[in-house]
Amino acid sequence: MPRTTRTTRLVGAVAVALAAALTLSACGSSGDGSGAAKVTQQKDATPYEGTKLTRNFEKPDLQLTDTSGQPFDLRKQTDGKTTLLFFGYTSCPDVCPTTMGDIGVAMKKLSPEERQKINVVFVSTDPQRDTPKVLRTWLDSMGSDFIGLTGDLEKVKAAAKSVGIMIEDPVVNPDGTVTSTHGAQVLAFLPSDDKAHVLYLSGTEVKTYEHDLPLLAKGVAA
Amino acid sequence: MSATAGRATLGFRRTALTGAVLATALGGGALLAACGAGGQDGAAGGPARLSVADSYIPLPPAGGMAAGYLTVRNDGGQDQLVKVTSPGAESITMHRSTPSRMEQVGSLDVPAHGALQFSRGGTHLMIMGWQKAPVLGDELELDLTFAKSGTISVKVPVKELTYRPGQS
Repeated sequence: MPRTTRTTRLVGAVAVALAAALTLSACGSSGDGSGAAKVTQQKDATPYEGTKLTRNFEKPDLQLTDTSGQPFDLRKQTDGKTTLLFFGYTSCPDVCPTTMGDIGVAMKKLSPEERQKINVVFVSTDPQRDTPKVLRTWLDSMGSDFIGLTGDLEKVKAAAKSVGIMIEDPVVNPDGTVTSTHGAQVLAFLPSDDKAHVLYLSGTEVKTYEHDLPLLAKGVAA
Repeated sequence: MSATAGRATLGFRRTALTGAVLATALGGGALLAACGAGGQDGAAGGPARLSVADSYIPLPPAGGMAAGYLTVRNDGGQDQLVKVTSPGAESITMHRSTPSRMEQVGSLDVPAHGALQFSRGGTHLMIMGWQKAPVLGDELELDLTFAKSGTISVKVPVKELTYRPGQS
Protein backbone atom coordinates (compact mmCIF):
# COMPACT_ATOMS: atom_id res chain seq x y z
CA MET A 1 0.00 0.00 0.00
CA PRO A 2 1.48 3.30 -1.01
CA ARG A 3 0.22 5.01 2.09
CA THR A 4 2.08 2.69 4.31
CA THR A 5 5.15 3.25 2.28
CA ARG A 6 4.90 6.92 2.73
CA THR A 7 4.38 6.67 6.44
CA THR A 8 7.31 4.42 6.71
CA ARG A 9 9.44 6.76 4.76
CA LEU A 10 8.48 9.68 6.97
CA VAL A 11 9.06 7.58 10.00
CA GLY A 12 12.45 6.75 8.72
CA ALA A 13 13.21 10.29 7.86
CA VAL A 14 12.25 11.52 11.24
CA ALA A 15 14.17 8.88 13.05
CA VAL A 16 17.19 10.22 11.29
CA ALA A 17 16.29 13.81 11.88
CA LEU A 18 15.78 13.16 15.55
CA ALA A 19 19.37 12.35 15.91
CA ALA A 20 20.04 15.99 15.18
CA ALA A 21 17.40 18.21 16.68
CA LEU A 22 14.09 17.43 15.07
CA THR A 23 14.72 19.44 12.01
CA LEU A 24 12.04 17.50 10.21
CA SER A 25 12.92 18.23 6.69
CA ALA A 26 10.71 15.49 5.40
CA CYS A 27 7.40 16.78 6.48
CA GLY A 28 6.54 18.85 3.47
CA SER A 29 6.44 15.89 1.18
CA SER A 30 3.03 14.64 0.42
CA GLY A 31 2.40 12.76 -2.70
CA ASP A 32 5.01 10.48 -4.07
CA GLY A 33 4.55 7.05 -2.71
CA SER A 34 7.77 5.57 -3.88
CA GLY A 35 11.25 6.23 -2.79
CA ALA A 36 13.31 6.10 0.29
CA ALA A 37 11.52 3.58 2.47
CA LYS A 38 14.59 2.51 4.23
CA VAL A 39 14.65 3.01 7.92
CA THR A 40 12.16 0.66 9.50
CA GLN A 41 13.94 -0.82 12.45
CA GLN A 42 12.35 1.68 14.83
CA LYS A 43 8.91 0.71 13.72
CA ASP A 44 9.30 -2.99 14.30
CA ALA A 45 10.27 -2.55 17.89
CA THR A 46 7.09 -0.82 18.97
CA PRO A 47 3.36 -1.51 18.89
CA TYR A 48 2.85 2.08 17.75
CA GLU A 49 2.61 3.26 14.17
CA GLY A 50 3.97 6.62 15.19
CA THR A 51 7.69 7.02 15.58
CA LYS A 52 9.17 5.68 18.75
CA LEU A 53 11.41 8.29 20.28
CA THR A 54 14.85 7.22 21.26
CA ARG A 55 15.24 10.32 23.37
CA ASN A 56 12.39 10.65 25.84
CA PHE A 57 11.92 14.33 26.48
CA GLU A 58 10.54 15.46 29.82
CA LYS A 59 7.17 17.09 29.64
CA PRO A 60 7.91 20.83 29.41
CA ASP A 61 7.69 22.84 32.59
CA LEU A 62 5.16 25.32 31.29
CA GLN A 63 2.66 27.59 33.01
CA LEU A 64 0.27 29.41 30.73
CA THR A 65 -3.38 30.40 30.53
CA ASP A 66 -6.07 27.96 29.42
CA THR A 67 -9.10 28.74 27.31
CA SER A 68 -11.20 29.64 30.32
CA GLY A 69 -8.64 32.25 31.28
CA GLN A 70 -7.33 30.24 34.22
CA PRO A 71 -3.67 29.50 34.92
CA PHE A 72 -2.62 26.09 33.67
CA ASP A 73 0.44 24.19 34.80
CA LEU A 74 1.19 21.63 32.12
CA ARG A 75 3.19 19.25 34.31
CA LYS A 76 0.88 19.41 37.29
CA GLN A 77 -2.38 19.29 35.45
CA THR A 78 -1.51 16.52 33.05
CA ASP A 79 0.46 14.49 35.57
CA GLY A 80 0.02 10.77 35.15
CA LYS A 81 -2.15 11.11 32.09
CA THR A 82 -1.37 10.44 28.45
CA THR A 83 -0.79 13.78 26.77
CA LEU A 84 -0.56 14.76 23.12
CA LEU A 85 1.27 18.06 22.66
CA PHE A 86 1.27 20.28 19.59
CA PHE A 87 2.58 23.80 19.07
CA GLY A 88 0.73 25.90 16.51
CA TYR A 89 -1.50 28.89 15.89
CA THR A 90 -5.08 29.34 14.86
CA SER A 91 -4.55 31.52 11.79
CA CYS A 92 -2.49 28.77 10.23
CA PRO A 93 -4.70 27.40 7.47
CA ASP A 94 -2.95 24.20 6.50
CA VAL A 95 -0.85 22.17 8.88
CA CYS A 96 -2.39 23.19 12.22
CA PRO A 97 -6.07 22.49 11.51
CA THR A 98 -5.16 19.38 9.54
CA THR A 99 -3.14 17.97 12.40
CA MET A 100 -5.58 18.87 15.15
CA GLY A 101 -8.56 17.88 13.03
CA ASP A 102 -7.13 14.45 12.36
CA ILE A 103 -6.46 13.91 16.05
CA GLY A 104 -10.03 15.01 16.68
CA VAL A 105 -11.38 12.41 14.27
CA ALA A 106 -9.35 9.66 15.90
CA MET A 107 -10.33 10.80 19.40
CA LYS A 108 -13.99 10.56 18.48
CA LYS A 109 -13.53 6.89 17.65
CA LEU A 110 -12.47 6.11 21.19
CA SER A 111 -14.83 5.04 23.92
CA PRO A 112 -15.62 7.78 26.45
CA GLU A 113 -13.41 5.97 28.96
CA GLU A 114 -10.46 5.86 26.60
CA ARG A 115 -11.02 9.40 25.57
CA GLN A 116 -10.87 10.60 29.14
CA LYS A 117 -7.46 9.11 29.51
CA ILE A 118 -5.91 11.33 26.86
CA ASN A 119 -5.20 15.04 27.10
CA VAL A 120 -4.82 16.83 23.81
CA VAL A 121 -2.90 20.05 24.40
CA PHE A 122 -2.48 22.79 21.81
CA VAL A 123 0.02 25.50 22.74
CA SER A 124 -0.23 28.74 20.80
CA THR A 125 2.84 30.10 19.08
CA ASP A 126 0.92 33.27 18.27
CA PRO A 127 -0.32 34.45 21.68
CA GLN A 128 -0.88 37.97 20.41
CA ARG A 129 -3.79 36.82 18.29
CA ASP A 130 -4.67 33.57 20.01
CA THR A 131 -6.57 34.80 23.02
CA PRO A 132 -8.22 32.17 25.23
CA LYS A 133 -11.51 32.85 23.49
CA VAL A 134 -10.08 32.57 19.97
CA LEU A 135 -8.36 29.34 20.94
CA ARG A 136 -11.54 27.88 22.40
CA THR A 137 -13.60 28.61 19.32
CA TRP A 138 -10.96 27.14 17.07
CA LEU A 139 -10.38 24.03 19.17
CA ASP A 140 -14.09 23.35 19.56
CA SER A 141 -14.19 22.40 15.89
CA MET A 142 -11.77 19.59 16.61
CA GLY A 143 -12.55 18.58 20.16
CA SER A 144 -14.47 20.43 22.82
CA ASP A 145 -12.28 18.87 25.49
CA PHE A 146 -8.99 19.79 23.83
CA ILE A 147 -6.85 21.96 26.04
CA GLY A 148 -5.65 25.24 24.56
CA LEU A 149 -2.85 27.19 26.18
CA THR A 150 -1.68 30.70 25.46
CA GLY A 151 0.54 33.27 27.15
CA ASP A 152 4.11 34.48 27.16
CA LEU A 153 5.73 33.56 23.86
CA GLU A 154 9.16 33.37 25.46
CA LYS A 155 7.90 30.63 27.76
CA VAL A 156 6.36 28.83 24.81
CA LYS A 157 9.59 29.02 22.86
CA ALA A 158 11.59 27.68 25.77
CA ALA A 159 9.13 24.85 26.33
CA ALA A 160 9.16 23.93 22.66
CA LYS A 161 12.92 24.02 22.56
CA SER A 162 13.10 21.63 25.48
CA VAL A 163 11.37 19.02 23.36
CA GLY A 164 13.33 19.76 20.22
CA ILE A 165 10.87 22.08 18.49
CA MET A 166 12.10 25.44 17.25
CA ILE A 167 9.58 28.23 17.49
CA GLU A 168 10.42 31.66 16.19
CA ASP A 169 8.84 35.05 16.66
CA PRO A 170 5.98 35.81 14.28
CA VAL A 171 7.12 37.61 11.14
CA VAL A 172 5.16 40.53 9.73
CA ASN A 173 5.12 40.23 5.95
CA PRO A 174 5.34 43.21 3.60
CA ASP A 175 1.62 42.93 2.93
CA GLY A 176 0.82 43.20 6.60
CA THR A 177 -0.02 39.57 7.16
CA VAL A 178 1.69 37.73 9.97
CA THR A 179 3.37 34.37 9.68
CA SER A 180 4.02 32.38 12.81
CA THR A 181 5.81 29.12 13.39
CA HIS A 182 4.13 25.84 14.11
CA GLY A 183 5.60 22.60 15.24
CA ALA A 184 5.83 19.95 12.58
CA GLN A 185 5.14 17.19 15.05
CA VAL A 186 2.87 15.98 17.78
CA LEU A 187 4.53 14.50 20.83
CA ALA A 188 2.85 11.80 22.89
CA PHE A 189 3.74 11.62 26.58
CA LEU A 190 2.93 8.39 28.36
CA PRO A 191 1.39 8.27 31.83
CA SER A 192 3.99 5.87 33.17
CA ASP A 193 6.78 8.45 33.39
CA ASP A 194 5.25 11.60 31.85
CA LYS A 195 7.92 11.55 29.19
CA ALA A 196 7.61 11.73 25.40
CA HIS A 197 7.72 8.31 23.78
CA VAL A 198 5.99 8.60 20.43
CA LEU A 199 6.11 11.25 17.76
CA TYR A 200 3.75 12.05 14.88
CA LEU A 201 4.75 14.25 11.99
CA SER A 202 2.33 16.74 10.53
CA GLY A 203 1.81 14.48 7.53
CA THR A 204 0.57 11.63 9.71
CA GLU A 205 -2.60 9.99 8.48
CA VAL A 206 -5.75 9.73 10.51
CA LYS A 207 -5.54 5.97 10.54
CA THR A 208 -2.20 6.14 12.29
CA TYR A 209 -3.81 8.12 15.09
CA GLU A 210 -6.75 5.74 15.06
CA HIS A 211 -4.38 2.86 15.50
CA ASP A 212 -2.30 4.46 18.21
CA LEU A 213 -4.73 6.37 20.40
CA PRO A 214 -6.22 3.27 22.06
CA LEU A 215 -2.68 2.16 22.90
CA LEU A 216 -1.82 5.58 24.24
CA ALA A 217 -5.00 5.60 26.31
CA LYS A 218 -3.90 2.35 27.90
CA GLY A 219 -0.43 3.71 28.42
CA VAL A 220 1.15 0.85 26.50
CA ALA A 221 4.91 1.17 26.50
CA ALA A 222 6.51 2.20 23.24
CA MET B 1 10.67 27.83 -18.40
CA SER B 2 9.02 27.35 -21.72
CA ALA B 3 11.13 24.55 -22.96
CA THR B 4 8.28 22.49 -24.16
CA ALA B 5 8.08 19.88 -26.76
CA GLY B 6 5.95 21.42 -29.40
CA ARG B 7 4.29 18.29 -30.53
CA ALA B 8 0.63 17.71 -30.43
CA THR B 9 -0.53 15.14 -28.00
CA LEU B 10 -3.51 13.36 -26.67
CA GLY B 11 -6.81 14.44 -27.95
CA PHE B 12 -8.74 16.97 -26.07
CA ARG B 13 -10.56 15.39 -23.20
CA ARG B 14 -13.70 17.06 -22.03
CA THR B 15 -14.16 14.45 -19.40
CA ALA B 16 -11.09 15.63 -17.63
CA LEU B 17 -13.26 18.20 -15.96
CA THR B 18 -14.40 16.06 -13.16
CA GLY B 19 -16.09 16.32 -9.87
CA ALA B 20 -17.29 19.58 -8.64
CA VAL B 21 -15.27 21.42 -11.18
CA LEU B 22 -17.05 23.77 -13.40
CA ALA B 23 -14.99 25.51 -15.95
CA THR B 24 -15.97 28.66 -17.64
CA ALA B 25 -14.02 31.11 -19.64
CA LEU B 26 -13.60 34.33 -17.78
CA GLY B 27 -12.32 37.73 -18.60
CA GLY B 28 -11.40 36.92 -22.13
CA GLY B 29 -9.06 34.17 -21.14
CA ALA B 30 -9.13 31.38 -23.61
CA LEU B 31 -10.02 28.11 -22.03
CA LEU B 32 -9.49 24.47 -22.68
CA ALA B 33 -11.13 23.95 -26.01
CA ALA B 34 -9.79 27.24 -27.14
CA CYS B 35 -6.35 27.01 -25.77
CA GLY B 36 -4.99 25.21 -28.73
CA ALA B 37 -5.83 28.19 -30.83
CA GLY B 38 -4.43 30.88 -28.62
CA GLY B 39 -1.88 33.37 -29.67
CA GLN B 40 0.84 32.04 -27.48
CA ASP B 41 2.02 29.14 -29.49
CA GLY B 42 5.11 29.47 -31.53
CA ALA B 43 7.92 30.41 -29.22
CA ALA B 44 6.16 28.91 -26.22
CA GLY B 45 5.85 25.48 -27.74
CA GLY B 46 2.76 23.36 -27.42
CA PRO B 47 -0.24 24.77 -25.68
CA ALA B 48 -1.12 23.65 -22.22
CA ARG B 49 -4.26 21.56 -21.85
CA LEU B 50 -5.45 22.14 -18.37
CA SER B 51 -8.16 20.70 -16.23
CA VAL B 52 -8.85 21.03 -12.54
CA ALA B 53 -9.82 18.17 -10.27
CA ASP B 54 -10.15 17.20 -6.63
CA SER B 55 -10.69 20.72 -5.45
CA TYR B 56 -11.85 21.32 -1.90
CA ILE B 57 -11.74 23.76 0.96
CA PRO B 58 -11.70 22.22 4.44
CA LEU B 59 -14.23 24.04 6.57
CA PRO B 60 -12.06 26.44 8.55
CA PRO B 61 -12.20 25.77 12.30
CA ALA B 62 -12.91 29.37 13.14
CA GLY B 63 -13.26 32.61 11.33
CA GLY B 64 -12.05 33.28 7.89
CA MET B 65 -8.66 31.65 7.55
CA ALA B 66 -9.05 28.72 5.20
CA ALA B 67 -6.90 26.60 2.99
CA GLY B 68 -7.80 25.41 -0.48
CA TYR B 69 -6.51 22.38 -2.35
CA LEU B 70 -6.85 21.22 -5.93
CA THR B 71 -5.04 19.50 -8.74
CA VAL B 72 -4.33 21.09 -12.10
CA ARG B 73 -3.77 18.42 -14.70
CA ASN B 74 -1.99 19.23 -17.87
CA ASP B 75 -2.16 17.14 -21.02
CA GLY B 76 -0.17 19.68 -22.98
CA GLY B 77 2.78 22.03 -22.74
CA GLN B 78 4.11 23.75 -19.67
CA ASP B 79 2.17 26.56 -18.03
CA GLN B 80 2.18 28.50 -14.81
CA LEU B 81 -0.46 29.39 -12.28
CA VAL B 82 0.16 33.04 -11.61
CA LYS B 83 -2.86 34.31 -9.74
CA VAL B 84 -5.94 33.10 -7.90
CA THR B 85 -8.86 35.33 -7.10
CA SER B 86 -12.45 34.87 -6.02
CA PRO B 87 -15.54 37.00 -6.09
CA GLY B 88 -16.32 35.56 -2.64
CA ALA B 89 -13.08 36.28 -0.81
CA GLU B 90 -10.84 39.29 -0.46
CA SER B 91 -7.50 37.62 -0.64
CA ILE B 92 -6.21 34.36 -2.02
CA THR B 93 -2.54 33.64 -1.96
CA MET B 94 -0.44 30.65 -2.86
CA HIS B 95 1.67 29.11 -0.13
CA ARG B 96 3.92 26.25 0.56
CA SER B 97 4.18 24.75 4.00
CA THR B 98 7.70 24.21 5.14
CA PRO B 99 8.45 22.03 8.14
CA SER B 100 7.71 24.86 10.53
CA ARG B 101 5.98 27.68 8.73
CA MET B 102 4.43 28.79 5.48
CA GLU B 103 6.05 30.69 2.69
CA GLN B 104 4.18 32.59 0.06
CA VAL B 105 4.94 31.83 -3.57
CA GLY B 106 4.27 34.11 -6.52
CA SER B 107 3.57 31.45 -9.10
CA LEU B 108 3.47 27.72 -9.45
CA ASP B 109 4.61 25.65 -12.39
CA VAL B 110 2.20 23.37 -14.15
CA PRO B 111 4.57 20.93 -15.79
CA ALA B 112 4.01 19.70 -19.33
CA HIS B 113 2.07 16.44 -19.33
CA GLY B 114 2.00 16.47 -15.59
CA ALA B 115 0.11 18.06 -12.77
CA LEU B 116 0.34 20.80 -10.25
CA GLN B 117 -0.81 19.22 -7.06
CA PHE B 118 -1.91 21.04 -3.96
CA SER B 119 -1.93 19.01 -0.78
CA ARG B 120 -2.17 19.20 2.96
CA GLY B 121 1.15 20.03 4.48
CA GLY B 122 2.39 21.13 1.08
CA THR B 123 1.29 23.63 -1.52
CA HIS B 124 -2.00 25.23 -0.60
CA LEU B 125 -4.11 28.29 -1.18
CA MET B 126 -4.69 30.61 1.72
CA ILE B 127 -8.14 32.12 1.56
CA MET B 128 -8.97 35.16 3.67
CA GLY B 129 -11.69 37.75 3.90
CA TRP B 130 -14.73 35.66 3.07
CA GLN B 131 -17.73 37.75 2.17
CA LYS B 132 -19.89 35.26 3.97
CA ALA B 133 -18.63 32.81 6.56
CA PRO B 134 -18.31 29.44 4.82
CA VAL B 135 -20.47 26.52 5.86
CA LEU B 136 -20.40 22.90 4.78
CA GLY B 137 -21.73 22.45 1.30
CA ASP B 138 -20.96 25.97 0.15
CA GLU B 139 -19.05 26.45 -3.03
CA LEU B 140 -16.51 29.16 -3.56
CA GLU B 141 -15.67 30.28 -7.06
CA LEU B 142 -11.94 30.37 -7.66
CA ASP B 143 -10.58 32.04 -10.74
CA LEU B 144 -7.26 30.52 -11.60
CA THR B 145 -5.16 32.62 -13.93
CA PHE B 146 -2.45 30.89 -15.90
CA ALA B 147 0.42 32.51 -17.73
CA LYS B 148 -0.59 31.02 -21.07
CA SER B 149 -4.02 29.52 -20.77
CA GLY B 150 -5.93 32.44 -19.42
CA THR B 151 -8.35 32.04 -16.55
CA ILE B 152 -10.14 28.91 -15.49
CA SER B 153 -12.97 29.27 -13.07
CA VAL B 154 -13.86 26.46 -10.73
CA LYS B 155 -16.46 26.04 -8.03
CA VAL B 156 -14.74 24.60 -5.03
CA PRO B 157 -16.84 22.83 -2.40
CA VAL B 158 -16.43 23.45 1.30
CA LYS B 159 -15.87 20.04 2.91
CA GLU B 160 -15.40 18.73 6.42
CA LEU B 161 -12.28 19.95 8.17
CA THR B 162 -10.59 16.58 7.82
CA TYR B 163 -11.80 15.69 4.30
CA ARG B 164 -9.34 14.16 1.84
CA PRO B 165 -10.09 13.56 -1.85
CA GLY B 166 -11.06 9.99 -2.53
CA GLN B 167 -13.01 9.61 0.66
CA SER B 168 -16.71 10.19 0.67
